[in-house]
Amino acid sequence: MSDFYPFIIAGLVSGAVYGLAATGLVLTYKTSGIFNFAHGAMAAAGAYLFYQVRQQWGLPWPVAFVVAVLVAGPIFGLVLERLAHALSGTTTAAKIVATVGLLIGVQGLLAAIYGGETRASRAFLPTKVLSLGSINVGVDQILVFVIAVSITLALTIFLRSSRVGTAMRGVVDDPDLLDLAGTSPTQVRRLAWTIGTLFAALSGVLLAPAVGLDPLLLTLLVVQAFGAAAIGRFASLPLSFVGGLVIGLGQAICSKYVNNVHALAGLPPSLPFIVFFGVLLLTRRGRLVELGALTRKRREATGADRRRIQIAGAVALLALVASVPAFASSRLPVFTAALIYVLVFASLRLLVGTSGQVSLCHVAFAAVGATSFAHFAGGAGLPWAVALLAAGLVAVPVGAFVAIPAIRLSGLYLALATLGFGILMERLVYPMGVMFGVTGLAKAPRPHLGFVNVSSDKGFYLLCLAIVVLGMLLIRVVTQSWIGRVLRAMSDSPLALTTLGSNVNATRVFVFCLSAFLAGIGGALYASFSGTTSGISFTALLSLTLIVVLAINGNGELRAPVGAAFALYVIPSYIRNETFNEYLPVLFGVTAVAVSVLSNQRYDPAARLHNLATASRRRARATRVTLRLRRATEAA
Amino acid sequence: MAFELRDIDAGYGTTQVLRSVTLVVPTGSVVTLLGPNGAGKTTLLRVASGLLAPMRGKIVVDGVDLTGSPPHRLMRAGVAHIPEGRGIFRNLTVQENLLILGPDRTESEAVSLAVDAFPRLGERLSQLAGSLSGGEQQMLALARAYLANPKLVLLDEVSMGLAPRIVDAIFEFIARLTTTGASLLIVEQYIRRALAAADYVYLMDRGRISFAGEPSELTDEEVFNRYMTTSVGL
Repeated sequence: MSDFYPFIIAGLVSGAVYGLAATGLVLTYKTSGIFNFAHGAMAAAGAYLFYQVRQQWGLPWPVAFVVAVLVAGPIFGLVLERLAHALSGTTTAAKIVATVGLLIGVQGLLAAIYGGETRASRAFLPTKVLSLGSINVGVDQILVFVIAVSITLALTIFLRSSRVGTAMRGVVDDPDLLDLAGTSPTQVRRLAWTIGTLFAALSGVLLAPAVGLDPLLLTLLVVQAFGAAAIGRFASLPLSFVGGLVIGLGQAICSKYVNNVHALAGLPPSLPFIVFFGVLLLTRRGRLVELGALTRKRREATGADRRRIQIAGAVALLALVASVPAFASSRLPVFTAALIYVLVFASLRLLVGTSGQVSLCHVAFAAVGATSFAHFAGGAGLPWAVALLAAGLVAVPVGAFVAIPAIRLSGLYLALATLGFGILMERLVYPMGVMFGVTGLAKAPRPHLGFVNVSSDKGFYLLCLAIVVLGMLLIRVVTQSWIGRVLRAMSDSPLALTTLGSNVNATRVFVFCLSAFLAGIGGALYASFSGTTSGISFTALLSLTLIVVLAINGNGELRAPVGAAFALYVIPSYIRNETFNEYLPVLFGVTAVAVSVLSNQRYDPAARLHNLATASRRRARATRVTLRLRRATEAA
Repeated sequence: MAFELRDIDAGYGTTQVLRSVTLVVPTGSVVTLLGPNGAGKTTLLRVASGLLAPMRGKIVVDGVDLTGSPPHRLMRAGVAHIPEGRGIFRNLTVQENLLILGPDRTESEAVSLAVDAFPRLGERLSQLAGSLSGGEQQMLALARAYLANPKLVLLDEVSMGLAPRIVDAIFEFIARLTTTGASLLIVEQYIRRALAAADYVYLMDRGRISFAGEPSELTDEEVFNRYMTTSVGL
């Protein structure tokens, strides 16, 4: 048993910090309805700022603490409150994209400034070890635990007993009513975001000495936090804190057990997701409600003329894409990769654009396709085309596994489930033999067709083009058929659709699985294209980048996937500037935030112009009528 | 307090609901606003309390232009709005609902005033407001508005869906509100009762004011039919 003490202590300490982060996350989510995927990125920003002031500028740690936690935290919070305000009234997908964009932007900025490798954050609390009987505890561990517990406790008491706390719970209930009762909801939310983000920054600073400064690792703290928040059902602050302790303890004990089992090394970091998934499965419908949900904006129907123009555009684009081998020369591999990713982006757009669902693990489906293909075609020696199709089909049950528990709840929970799943896949399943294996590499052959040479780079490019076009046509057929109609009707009134006897969730799962299938095919093509395939090409971070880059390119059936693939693969290969490419994720992130905010009809320039135009026309008409009446009376 | 809406245009998105609406509530008076479904009564009250910013026109309180003020500002100026449905925080206790108003009143003062007005609330102070009966919820909403010492109370269908005995209690309370010197702007389905209390009456139809005058001019059913396209049950 005594072997376990150090693990239990470490688990409680990190768990308390997760709990602190989770409390902040739930506080902001509850009061504003915006789930901040960038909560961990705020923690990372706080930790790096602390490091910068203390270790780079050499100032004493209390100064760094004040700057990183007490000044920067609230400032980030105020900025986030404005962002959340600008996002209220947009679709769930737009809200997710905006905060994921923020995550990508902040993470990219930190990686660009400090590099991707882990730096050491020197301990700032006393590290003296106390011996209590047979147990050794660091003073810093005690302090971190006490700080986290007492701050969360203080917040809970504050919310229970003060009038501001009552108002904060009131804003969750009904913000308009709170406004009518004489308290500004905006001020209440500002306070919530200030506290919540301060908690994030504090948790980053407290965690950094133990885990090291790694932009990605700290950014993904949000996963620990949402696992903990799931235990509190995204509503209860004290339970979320307890959830943090449970996850911290679970991870620590788990890592003690799997210490010698290499294949399970990824289990502890995946624990939050497993907890979250368990909560999803065990929760009755209606218990986990998404705040302020809106699936999709209405769209105008397309006229026949528009359609003709669209077809002409598609043909022209196809001709252009088909002529790439003629001019690409040494960049042909880049274009091939981009082309393959057109299919992955198209599958993602099918999901986001038609059903308003967001997948944050699409790259994992591509990875499943890639490794399945490698095993089928390379290992088992199946014919190329059969292996390709089978690879896509393997991704289907994987997609269903993630989607089924989450979809019955709502769009936000699907996004959370997929984010966690992507990380679980990368850390736990990628290293397994069924996927990339311990060596991390799997061989995948190029195709051999008798009648045309498709094993050359040019031939392979054209083969990919044919497959991508087929995939896009499949998407088109599906969205134009009854499934498309059901999905459109669903965005209008899910209730009406259900009473008409349509099983909305089955349709959603179908679309999700189709999307996973196409992503799997994309992954298989990518594996075949590179010859060998490794997990590095399919990171969880790339999944997040995909959704952000896709959102930047709008919602066009053709324009969005092609534009996104071009932006992600082709543009960086033409820009030789190292610095620019390093900052590219920042650009993507910032643009995604802007695009999401502008998708809000309140800020839609077109709608505003329309309003202005009709208002002035109405006013002009009123004046005309008045004049006519006056003239008529004068005549009489 | 004299409250005026001057030449208001308002709506949601690209749909216009109110078309150059002008309405005056003189100091200490009771004004009843009647009209068929969809006439824009609720929208008018939402504009009056600041929940909906008008596209055009002015909100003037005691000669001061308060157009564009958010609801909590108008509330501080004395405008209390009891919205359609139940204007309560379901997940707060009754007591917390009474205290959410702000720091002007002490806890015990607020509670004793509310219990004085509606004794039934006294037995339910620590209960969640969402677990109250419909009538009790409406009483709580009224008590909340009353505690704010309003100079104008906007009442949107407060008797909707309630048992007749509860409706009696609510109208008694409305009468009591007027004795505090507050003006009232009432939207009601019990037209007779609302007219009996009213000093002035406005009729609305399709976003416009179609009649403004004293209730005595409106006792005849024919007059109703003339001003309102849809006939209204009395």
